[in-house]
Amino acid sequence: MNTSLLSVEGLSKDFKYFTFGTVDFHVEIGTVVALIGENGSGKSTLFRLLLNILHADEGKITFFGEDRQVDDAQFKQSVGYAGNLLDAFPYISIKELSHMISYWYDNWNEDRYRYFCERYAIDERMKFGRCSTGIKKKVEFILSICHNPKLLILDEPSSGVDIKSQRKMKEDIIEFMEDGTRSTIIATHSVDEITHLSDILIVLHDGKIVNSMNKDDIYENWARVWVSDLKESIINHTNTVDVMYDSKQIITNHLPNLEQMLTTENITITHTQSLKIGEVIDYLIPQN
Amino acid sequence: MQLPIKVSEDSREPIYHQIETQIKTLIISGQLPPDTPLPSIRVLSHDLACSVITTRRAYQDLENKGLIKTVQGKGTFVKKLEGKDKDNEKLKIAMYTFEKAIQQTQQIGCTEEEIIEIFDKVFKQHFDQKGEME
Repeated sequence: MNTSLLSVEGLSKDFKYFTFGTVDFHVEIGTVVALIGENGSGKSTLFRLLLNILHADEGKITFFGEDRQVDDAQFKQSVGYAGNLLDAFPYISIKELSHMISYWYDNWNEDRYRYFCERYAIDERMKFGRCSTGIKKKVEFILSICHNPKLLILDEPSSGVDIKSQRKMKEDIIEFMEDGTRSTIIATHSVDEITHLSDILIVLHDGKIVNSMNKDDIYENWARVWVSDLKESIINHTNTVDVMYDSKQIITNHLPNLEQMLTTENITITHTQSLKIGEVIDYLIPQN
Repeated sequence: MQLPIKVSEDSREPIYHQIETQIKTLIISGQLPPDTPLPSIRVLSHDLACSVITTRRAYQDLENKGLIKTVQGKGTFVKKLEGKDKDNEKLKIAMYTFEKAIQQTQQIGCTEEEIIEIFDKVFKQHFDQKGEME
């Protein structure tokens, strides 16, 4: 059985002051991928390349086992994207925007659209350009999900959104993912979204993927370790990520490997603790 | 529904195993009676902040052991346990609980003899206290 929904191989694009790629990754059916990285790391560029808004120099994108380029229209029917595309229409009301967008989708569900407008208290008469940042985000989210896509691509969907609506958005993404036949890629700076929504983490830095892992690998492998003695061999070990000298504390990204070394060095571990995702993210992004 | 389970920060036990053991305990103890609907894999993953890959594995294991059942399109439910199976699982959980306690006491340097002595002491203390209360 083919379990890959999206597969990206050798994707790259050169800009005047920025090089994106080469990037390779897979998105399995039924998973939420969190795309993490600092501002300017290439998250939005990746999305634009996936959607063909930008044309890649090199690379192959496969969607449900088929080359994405073969049937562009079909691909777009199956993808929902929320990420600052609507800013081009500031003088159009939300209602008109919804007509304009729904026109292109065979699967547009007007009842769903009505339901979401009510749920997020959207006043459809508002001109899009006059909406606050948070309301724009909500409208983009709603307009990305009403045609029942297979892949949802969200670019910082909750930034600027009020706390109550952030919770609703999280519920709606969970509901979208519920039957296990769809996938979501979410670029986010929200530790809460990474912790509670995602299954896989992909870390982008300077246009390249520098880390990619199952979220639970962090729980299984990363740890804060208190040791009886700090020797050179521990401090310089490949799996030692950080050292707190005064408290004889180590952050490791692979506890089993470190333990093995400690045993041969006759050093005892006095305590271990798993790390929270928020603590690990800092270590996943390289220092400039 | 929210299940009263959590992933421990200090445990080295894999997450799927922690979930499995805790749900099993809730079922055997009767806190989750037969036919109780369980949260979906996606919702449980959200509540426990773990990936669906992990939660799915825990549910699959529980299903293989005959403790829960998945009804297509309806969700996952607690299964009715037959007497013998129930006793069997009860014994397994009880043994596992003591096993963990022994491991922890060994970690702080207790010998086998000491552990037996401690067990006797705690055992007496616990049941004597209960006796007084009655």
